[in-house]
Amino acid sequence: MLLLGTLFGSCKMEKVGPAAEAVKDISGNWKIIKATRNGADLTAIVDFSQFRLNFNQGKYTLVNKVPFLVGQNGTYALDDPKYPFKISFTAGTATPVATAFNFPIVNGARQLTLTFSPGCTNNTYVYVFQKSN
Amino acid sequence: MKQYLRIKGKGIWQLCALIVLGVALACCGEIITGVDQPGVATVGQVVPITVHIDIPTVGNGGPDYLIFGFLVPKGWKAAQNTTITYTSPTLGDGNMVLVPSTTLAKNGGGLNWPDDMKKTFGIGGNLIDDMEWVAYQTDKAFTHNGSEIKGDLNIQIKVGADNNDTQVKLGYVITDSGNGFTSDGNGTYYSEKITDCFSVTGGTGDFVDFCHPQLTTINPPKSLDNDYITLTFDGNVTTTALTGADVVYLCATAYTSDGQTIVVCEQTDKTKMVQMPDGSKKYQITFWPKSFFGTTDTQTIIKMDYFITDKTGATKVGYGNTSSPFEYNFKCS
Repeated sequence: MLLLGTLFGSCKMEKVGPAAEAVKDISGNWKIIKATRNGADLTAIVDFSQFRLNFNQGKYTLVNKVPFLVGQNGTYALDDPKYPFKISFTAGTATPVATAFNFPIVNGARQLTLTFSPGCTNNTYVYVFQKSN
Repeated sequence: MKQYLRIKGKGIWQLCALIVLGVALACCGEIITGVDQPGVATVGQVVPITVHIDIPTVGNGGPDYLIFGFLVPKGWKAAQNTTITYTSPTLGDGNMVLVPSTTLAKNGGGLNWPDDMKKTFGIGGNLIDDMEWVAYQTDKAFTHNGSEIKGDLNIQIKVGADNNDTQVKLGYVITDSGNGFTSDGNGTYYSEKITDCFSVTGGTGDFVDFCHPQLTTINPPKSLDNDYITLTFDGNVTTTALTGADVVYLCATAYTSDGQTIVVCEQTDKTKMVQMPDGSKKYQITFWPKSFFGTTDTQTIIKMDYFITDKTGATKVGYGNTSSPFEYNFKCS
């Protein structure tokens, strides 16, 4: 009995909890590294080098504008801080505009991919962003 | 002395050729044997089109559905404006139904049927990429049991939902859900037919010519001032005053919803159209109209007139190689 007690008492279950998912932090300056229109690459024929999308404490700023989900500065929100599927932009008092949130790590750096139609709904643009600093 | 192999009796050769031809014709694969389609119609008219099909089958296959693809201008909204039935002594009569966009094409590399059709057949020799393949399938399946299935697909399409006068080459493809657009030792399992230019008149919108080369084209064909548009001047279409130029320039006037006109007619990097690729005589510029014309946030550009000019701006080429400007309306339908 003592032996059995020792046997069971000597082992202790170690609890390995799941690591907490990090909050997706997109704050900072983003530049376009690739852009397509209806699948055709625009990167080489349009100068995107001056455009910046800045996220800072719930607000976004557009610098040297290009056609985008929104035309004015405003606020942004993710639908979930840890597992976001959507990002929405609200320019001033306008209705929020949402699109899929795609935030992969490519070659060790986060990329932000946004898909939207700034003109006709049949024309789809995909911008791939990377941090500019 | 040279000796040639001679097989006595040329009848043997003819017999062999007939057998090979017979096997090729009898074995496998859907064939469009003909299309009955009128050459002209008016906007809003319901046009009857008959596609004659022939499906020689071999034993032990299927059951599969017949897949039918119809190439039409996007503006016609064919999925909503078309009904298709089939009549066949062997297959029976029935309806062709739209294939859900979530259904993947057999051997289509993960694409659905319309996308696989576009990848395989393009836009049927049309020159403006504003066409779509609409995919249908039979409402019942058939087996490949060695019999030959003949029949007709009877299309009723209301043409010109976009109210545009149009010239277009309509296209038709068939295959079956068990093979897709493939060929193997048994034959080719699909058939494509592109018809001659079909003309729709009586519309009040733009004239859209998918058939004939145009001096200038704008891509995407339907766009607003908040899109990027790519304007191409094709110097191969005809000899113009700009033939032989290294670079040409865009000279454009925008008309806004608040009644303003904005002219951008300068020969600078902003309006420069470069040959892409080099030496192709196709000159291109891609721009964002809102920024190009410098409109305010509340202004919307509804129309643009334009000429193509040389370095000095003195030589201008307009619509149809005349002194009238090209016109483009910013709209989505």
